[in-house]
Amino acid sequence: MRSRSRAWRRWALAAAATLAFVPGCKRQGRPSESPPTVAAPRPEPRPSTAGKGESAPMGAGVVLRGARVMTATGVIYPKADIWVVGDHIEAVGVSIKAKRNAEIVDVSGKTITPGIIDTHSHIGVYASPGLSAHADGNEMAGPTTAYARAEDGYWPQDPQVERARAGGVTTMQILPGSANLIGGRSVVVKTYPDARSVDDARFELAPAGLKMACGENPKRVYKDKGGPVTRMGNLATVRAEFQKAVEYRRSWKRYRDKLERWNSRPVDAAGDDGDKGPPDPPARDFALETLADVIEGKLLVHNHCYRADEMSLMMELANTYGFRIRSFHHAVEAYKIADRLAEHGAAASVWADWWGFKAEAYDGIRENAAMLSAAGARAIIHSDSAIGIQRLNQEAAKAMYAGRRAGIDISDDEALRWLTANPAWALGVDGTVGTIEAGKQADLVVWSGDPFSVYTKVERVYIEGEPVYDVAKAGEPESDFELGLIETAMPDRREARP
Amino acid sequence: MKRRTWLAAAAAATVGAVVGDASAAPAPPRRRSNELRLPFDHGQGRLLITHAKVHVGDGTVLDDASVHVVGSRIMAVGPGERVSAGDGAERVDLGGKWLVPGFIAAATPLGLVEIGAEDSTVDTERKDDKSIRAGYDAAVAVHADSSLIGVNAIDGVTSAAVTPVGGLVSGQVAWIDLAAGDHTGIVAKPRIAVHAHLGQTFGGSRAATLAQLSETLDDADFFDKRRAAYDRRQSRDLVAHPRDLEALVPVLRGQIPLVVEAHRASDLLALVDLAKDRGIRIVVVGATQGHAVADALAKASITAIVQPSENLPGNLDRLGARRDNAAKLHAAGVRVGIAVLDEAHNVRNVSQEAGIAIAHGLPRAAALSAVTHNLAIAYGMDADYGTITAGKVANLAAYDDDPFELKNVPTQVWIRGRTLSMRSRQTRLRDRYMDLSRFRDHDAGARR
Repeated sequence: MRSRSRAWRRWALAAAATLAFVPGCKRQGRPSESPPTVAAPRPEPRPSTAGKGESAPMGAGVVLRGARVMTATGVIYPKADIWVVGDHIEAVGVSIKAKRNAEIVDVSGKTITPGIIDTHSHIGVYASPGLSAHADGNEMAGPTTAYARAEDGYWPQDPQVERARAGGVTTMQILPGSANLIGGRSVVVKTYPDARSVDDARFELAPAGLKMACGENPKRVYKDKGGPVTRMGNLATVRAEFQKAVEYRRSWKRYRDKLERWNSRPVDAAGDDGDKGPPDPPARDFALETLADVIEGKLLVHNHCYRADEMSLMMELANTYGFRIRSFHHAVEAYKIADRLAEHGAAASVWADWWGFKAEAYDGIRENAAMLSAAGARAIIHSDSAIGIQRLNQEAAKAMYAGRRAGIDISDDEALRWLTANPAWALGVDGTVGTIEAGKQADLVVWSGDPFSVYTKVERVYIEGEPVYDVAKAGEPESDFELGLIETAMPDRREARP
Repeated sequence: MKRRTWLAAAAAATVGAVVGDASAAPAPPRRRSNELRLPFDHGQGRLLITHAKVHVGDGTVLDDASVHVVGSRIMAVGPGERVSAGDGAERVDLGGKWLVPGFIAAATPLGLVEIGAEDSTVDTERKDDKSIRAGYDAAVAVHADSSLIGVNAIDGVTSAAVTPVGGLVSGQVAWIDLAAGDHTGIVAKPRIAVHAHLGQTFGGSRAATLAQLSETLDDADFFDKRRAAYDRRQSRDLVAHPRDLEALVPVLRGQIPLVVEAHRASDLLALVDLAKDRGIRIVVVGATQGHAVADALAKASITAIVQPSENLPGNLDRLGARRDNAAKLHAAGVRVGIAVLDEAHNVRNVSQEAGIAIAHGLPRAAALSAVTHNLAIAYGMDADYGTITAGKVANLAAYDDDPFELKNVPTQVWIRGRTLSMRSRQTRLRDRYMDLSRFRDHDAGARR
């Protein structure tokens, strides 16, 4: 069962975490070290998943037979099999030979893709219904709140989670909002059913991200609250925070050096400056520790930033402090600097066609993602919307076809990578999910047809080999919130899902 | 200013506008003599679209048909051998591809907003503390130079019911065609409907809101019958300013609809009662719980304009939101419209919304009607819009095939019979940045 393998990983990662000095990212893996070429760590050998119930009888697994398989690796099989054993893909290919007692599921006529990954969601922190009691996404106590963590505001009962899953989303990054220049740590979750707390939903191998924001939002929120008032103030404030982090690291280094000298001093000798005991550590500051982690490459920076000029400035700032922006978010003007994004190794998480709702979004175009791909940058289609997240395939389709019409040759595989492999990379989990390859976690979506058609629906979703959604079996609402409410409003709900 | 221009144009049109070259084509159907020409009915251009698969918009499909356009109107539609245009007409052979009526964007502030967060570019609302703003006339604020017009037009949206927002009664709706830059003529018809919002838009309570709406309609009637007394200051106090009440008189007379955003079943039923009790025309927008009271809506002949993708319980009025709302309403006999609500910039995605409705059970023909014909009927504009029919305004879009599929955008759009350039500010931006090598790069020197 999932719980067993997850419990094992939890143990393994908790053991690793005890060695780390990071309070805020317990049980988290590491991002790829040097973007964009190095993959994230793969999971270590897995425990047996024998006895996994319907999905995996006694270790022989399940063969999804005969679907069109879009792997997001550059290969699209017109008709192939996927052999899932336990939580991972054992093999994929044409007429693969699975163990004789593997369960065979006929999916001919369907299309299978990797589970969709959304780099930008506020599900759980801005829940539905949007009650005032549910607004847990923006810690608007000040323009920099690097100490805040999305996971602490995540409500696993949000009815939006099950809808995202029914749209084929298996992994999503939950971000703090964009009111603050530095909003806090993100949490990457899987859309597992039955989560009672964020830890039940957490994608344990995913490193945390840091949410940052440029531009209009911080100015608007803080202009009457002590600033920043201008873009000058935005950048100056961010720079000052990273400078503090540099000095914070320095004070810890001084401490560690001192401690080392103390530990290696001759017996009975005094320490530095005649100290009689070991040195005191500096006061811990969780905000600066977060930024120090960014500088050390342990946290991935996700930067809400619309305009080309501002993204350029942020890349310069990052270069100054020795880190990279892992992904710009929204990035409606990314197409204007696609070459620079490619060179920096920054992904751009964009919408297909949102534009004009504010000045920095005025130049949005549907060809944005395609032009990024054409320049060799990493394009991602993200949602930032609990409606959009349910049809990211359609959003990618609009962007893909707009690109093709403009003469950019975007393959179906490339457009699929906008939803799978590329966001997996941005979240530092590309060694684990994002493609259909042997060894990857079996996060899979079975579609009724071409995922780039408006008429295609998600029929089944698997997370780590476990069936977590089946359009034919949709039953009572999953969130406690809708239970007993929605059946009244929707007596024949069964037909209605998703 | 613009309003005056429109009136002048309309007056001129009643005097002598003649459509087309009557000698070269069959006469258009006779129009009612009291009906005004629309202000732009003066063009003489001729267009013949041939070999089209014409999806009329009312459910019928004509294979291999021709459409003859004269000026801004459709002159004739029918089999190729029966429709001719004479010499001098521009000819477009669609080779069997689809021709559909241009989409109508319902309940949108298109033309009233350029940049959402910049108040200086937004004329969607009269911002005062009054809940009844029926006199607010969107027509005079429509901005023909708005970049949104072109962006949405090239994706097949050819008309819009431009709708103010805010308050309980927001103001008067204007019908526009997406004729970018046409300052004198972009408004086809002002004051075609009054828009309102139920929920808690007055007094912090939906009960107070309904009471206020009812009292407002009472006072509009009261004022209408006692204008002279009011002018002599021999009237009791009124719930709203006389200009705001006056704007509701055509609603009370059943001349124009009251278009009301409402979601909860109880509010929808209140509107059913309102329609019945007062004999007024009601259109509901949103109608999230419409599926639960579909029979009552159907019986009251209330059109429901829904957004199929909206399936979240965003607030308690929207419990049970479901993507097959359109299908269920349609099945119950409700006239269904589809729109991208609370949206101006991307009303072009109405085609995607129609596709989503189809994927969740709405018949295809009904979906096309829901973005064309049914909306024209809802807003009382179906004499001139909504289908590819002789006599109607030539707002047309050609597609390779299915207009709702994500792979398709129009290959050509015609608005009021004019061939659109198919360029917008967005295509211009795209073209400017397609080749980045021409831009300065401060690092380039260092790299060399």
